[in-house]
Amino acid sequence: MSAGHLLSAAFLVTWLSASLRLAGPVLLAALGETFAEQSGVLNIGIEGTILLGALASFLGSYYTGSIWLSVLIAVIAGIAANVLLAWMYVTVRASQVVAGLVFNILALGVASAIYRKALENPAVPESIPMFQPLHFPLLSRIPWIGPVLFGQTILFYLTIALVLAAQFILFRTNFGLALRAAGENPAAADSAGVSVTRMRYAGTLISGGAAGMAGAYLVLAQIGLFRESVVSGQGFIALGIVIFGRWNPLKAALAAFVFGACDALQLSLQIFGPKVPPQLLLALPYIVTILAISGLFGGKAVQPAALLTPYEKD
Amino acid sequence: MIRTLEMRNIVKRFPGVLANDHANLTLRAGEIHALLGENGAGKSTLMQILYGFHSMDAGEILLDGRRVHLNSPKDAIALGIGMVYQEFMLLRPFSVVENTVLGLREGPGPLLDLSKASAKLKELSDRHGLALDPAAKVENLPIGVQQRVEIVKLLYRDARLLILDEPTAVLTPQEKDRLFSVLRALPADGRTVIIVTHKLAEVMDIADLVTVMRDGKVMATRSIHETSPQELTQLMVGRDVNLRIVKTSQAPGDSVLQLPVLQIKDLHVAGEDDREKLAGVSLDIHAGEILGIAGVDGNGQSELAEAVMHLRDIRSGRVLLNGADITNRSVARHRALGISYVPADRRHVGSVTEMSVADNAILGLQQKFSSGVFRNIRHARESAQNLVSRFAVRPAGIDAPAGKLSGGNLQKLILGREIIRASAALIVEQPTRGLDISAVEAVWQELLRARQEGKAILLISTELEELLNLADRVAVMFAGRVVGIVDAANASVEEIGRMMAGLPAAASIPSHPPGAISGTQRAEIV
Amino acid sequence: MPKLFERRLAPADSPLAILARTFAALIAAMLVTAFLFRSYGANPWQAYFALFHEPFATLRGFGYTLVRASPLALVALGTVVSWRSGFAYLGFEGSFIVGAVVSSWLALSTAPRAAFGPMPFLLFLPLAILLGFFAGGIWAGMVGILRARWGGNEVLISLMSNYVAIFLLQYLVSGPMRAPGSNPETPLLPRATWLPFILPGTRAHAGILIALIAAALVWMLLQKMPLGYELIVTGFNPFAARYAGIDVRRRTILAAFFAGGLGALAGVVEVLGSQHRLMEGISGGVGFLGIVVALLARMNPIAIIPTALLYGGMSVGADAMQRRANIPSSVTLILESLAVLFLLAVDLLRYYRFRPSSLWRQPPETITHGVPE
Repeated sequence: MSAGHLLSAAFLVTWLSASLRLAGPVLLAALGETFAEQSGVLNIGIEGTILLGALASFLGSYYTGSIWLSVLIAVIAGIAANVLLAWMYVTVRASQVVAGLVFNILALGVASAIYRKALENPAVPESIPMFQPLHFPLLSRIPWIGPVLFGQTILFYLTIALVLAAQFILFRTNFGLALRAAGENPAAADSAGVSVTRMRYAGTLISGGAAGMAGAYLVLAQIGLFRESVVSGQGFIALGIVIFGRWNPLKAALAAFVFGACDALQLSLQIFGPKVPPQLLLALPYIVTILAISGLFGGKAVQPAALLTPYEKD
Repeated sequence: MIRTLEMRNIVKRFPGVLANDHANLTLRAGEIHALLGENGAGKSTLMQILYGFHSMDAGEILLDGRRVHLNSPKDAIALGIGMVYQEFMLLRPFSVVENTVLGLREGPGPLLDLSKASAKLKELSDRHGLALDPAAKVENLPIGVQQRVEIVKLLYRDARLLILDEPTAVLTPQEKDRLFSVLRALPADGRTVIIVTHKLAEVMDIADLVTVMRDGKVMATRSIHETSPQELTQLMVGRDVNLRIVKTSQAPGDSVLQLPVLQIKDLHVAGEDDREKLAGVSLDIHAGEILGIAGVDGNGQSELAEAVMHLRDIRSGRVLLNGADITNRSVARHRALGISYVPADRRHVGSVTEMSVADNAILGLQQKFSSGVFRNIRHARESAQNLVSRFAVRPAGIDAPAGKLSGGNLQKLILGREIIRASAALIVEQPTRGLDISAVEAVWQELLRARQEGKAILLISTELEELLNLADRVAVMFAGRVVGIVDAANASVEEIGRMMAGLPAAASIPSHPPGAISGTQRAEIV
Repeated sequence: MPKLFERRLAPADSPLAILARTFAALIAAMLVTAFLFRSYGANPWQAYFALFHEPFATLRGFGYTLVRASPLALVALGTVVSWRSGFAYLGFEGSFIVGAVVSSWLALSTAPRAAFGPMPFLLFLPLAILLGFFAGGIWAGMVGILRARWGGNEVLISLMSNYVAIFLLQYLVSGPMRAPGSNPETPLLPRATWLPFILPGTRAHAGILIALIAAALVWMLLQKMPLGYELIVTGFNPFAARYAGIDVRRRTILAAFFAGGLGALAGVVEVLGSQHRLMEGISGGVGFLGIVVALLARMNPIAIIPTALLYGGMSVGADAMQRRANIPSSVTLILESLAVLFLLAVDLLRYYRFRPSSLWRQPPETITHGVPE
């Protein structure tokens, strides 16, 4: 393959457009995770929560017939599942790594058991209706930029709006300040009258809701069906993106697009390029994330000082 | 507006400790009230109950005669009670104004209006002479300024009752003077200030009233004009202190002429923030000598100890043990060659609290108590048993987790472990901080015994009394430098105090030697 | 006011209390799962009978239990070594795959006309174990280096490294190592490289012996060797470790190496003992379930063996349950993970004393024996 092929307009447009599309779910999950981590909770359980959200939106779509209601159901499912996690993290003060990890296994068991049960009903379809890419008059027709930026689904634009909202809430509201204080120095937050418990529950539940929505994004805008393997580590990728993005929603968005670009490269090369083993390209986003968070490049990321530390005052 | 606040029969238990035993305290508007007591007397606990941080097991709190319930600091703040902890409760990467408005609702609805808050903060800061920049990041501010951030937090909330827990522990004398002048102005607008301290001289300096605590009980409350340092000391420790122990004098010449055991030559060390923590320290310590290091906390003493052990990177300079250069040898090598170290933080550095006493007794010696690739557990246990009985560690069971030992017994275990091995030099950092009197005496005796045995001892302490009692010579550190070395036998507390404050050791002696006050007072009483 | 749970001043940590809490957690998990069984229209008693009868009361089933328990135990042992050294390695799926890949490669190389040609089993087995252990050790050791030298977060890096290994495996079995045929998998390994079967009439193989030996070695390392002491000190308190002259970075890297090595042995055992060929999805979640086993065994290398048998047996029983009671086998995942979550949750009880008597009696006066005013 010549360099000319790689740089051809068609290739670039396909690649970049797919990059944005694939970045969506991990970005959503990373946004929520940013809240959890800023409050001092490393919520590894988002991997399992995305899976539950995916299943909830799939079944929601079948039972309600409404694509928007199924997004809502996925968000609620994510929040509900994370009540258990928040209780483990904050009230029980369990090791966050252990609780999150075991929760993921639990979520896999639950999703799989429910899905199998649902399949017994022959009316449950294999695939469900999906969000379609929007077409903006004029804008979509701008060469290059148009098809990339203005050919996404509504969920993508909603995600971008949530990035801005997250940035605003974290850094421009009393709630955001209190949340970050709980993750930076819980004793100081407590002595200033901030309830660390409440902030950490809030952070965990927000990450649960966002992860649930990320699951809906996967099912309703990317795949259109449910499998136990739909998530395959995207929750973990989101954890990496949070670090890569330095616990800042805007930077997390950039990091998510880098991830999406790696993921999309594999798709685009399969269409345009000769045989590069696709599996090795699939590993690329994970390798990039590992390198990004390894500490090898750039200064050490300064994480919230009390991340992973349960707060106990007596 | 608070007129009177009463704490009645407060009881608080922690595992193994009765921290407050029916404590009573009455406060009135417009007074500066000192809460005096030794470490562990229950002062901080009582104040944390008043601030809603701890719940009490029994008792009641009356505000202007009405019973109030303080379930969290939020309740206390709402009632006009504010507290500055010994460990500052600041968010280091955040700005002064963010720290100030945390937990408040400033601005329209949920939004955070920092510009309005900054203006109010600036105005408060000017009125009280705090000189604060609202936009500055806390982590870039000196300790003294961070403390003023804590005070402005309280004033911003219009606290009527300000509790300051050991506010001078980390301050230089100048910073302390500045703090006191800020505090003295507060009662004028009807505020009450409580200072929790174990330093008598500060009480005499600033307080109107003083309440003395001991072993969780309130011993007495006195007006400062009707009491004396002697009476307060009696109340504080319960008996006349007689800690001046017999120290045999070293015959000059028999050691001084020899090669020093430990030589520190022009040591330069950088801290985490890349600022210089040691700026060229040179010291010689001879066999059978205790060289004391005096100084206000944070002037490079800890860095000195860690650099000598090579627990910290050294920029330049050398460390010699018996004439051999060990500067860049590993920590393990340092230990093997014969330097022992008792760190200041016994629970987080000097021991592994989760492991048994027996396992802690071999910490740092694990390679010695082994034959081949296997540990010689029997030998290690015998040694631990021996250590526990020789240094009177209580309780004597060696299978209990070390974390269950009291501070004094844990310190005896660590000190014993570091002394008992055949080492030539011993570095000891804050060996009696937070210990009760009997443990202090035991530790001092052991240090003198080690000196008798001919070890070269570097004793780092912020307690002047300890240094003057134990050391042969006292070196004073200020801002990463040794500013002077004096002979302990004829050192004047005033002179050391001046040097600790970074002032040249001059002939004129101020009436109140800054920084060295606790030592002075104790020494007078002895 | 009578309180059913009275707060203790110090946690209850006697061995009996720990054992009681562990059983309470297991029973609570089984209770919740029993309700799940009901929701599938099954009788819980019959379901539990199906779950436990085949793996523990039939010879054939017990053989399978041993087969499933071996890799679980090895991963759990890796968890014990690394986690007790303060290195929260979660990359066992990856190390498992690395071990499976290199031992398959070695085994295929001993086929007639292959690179090495046939070799005696007594030479092959130690070689396969060493090669697997070192390959897995280096795989995980790299994560250890990233953490020790550059401060990388081992939790996330090791999680991510699993996927690198998964895609690497997919590439190998669909490309360079693929057998002619439709499925992405290698040819069957030469019979001479299979682990010997140890129970006549069952599939039980020598892998369980490897796991037993590994458990003994890990126990010896941690309890009886100065190196183990240094690892444990590093895990409890890296500051104290540094103070004690322990090279914390090297110990961290070594702990990662051991963890990866033990995880890889799980892969070696699975390929040579049970699957006899390399294929996609060969790890099947053992890399995570093994961590759960270690947690339930409270990081004790000896307690891991019975715990691995229990969990290995449950996965065997799950298939029987699915066949007989028509309950999805994934329900056992729920049971297995709930047990650990409840175990964490009952730690709250460490600080409480259960006082059923409070329901009918006034609580004893605990506070005031001072002088009431």
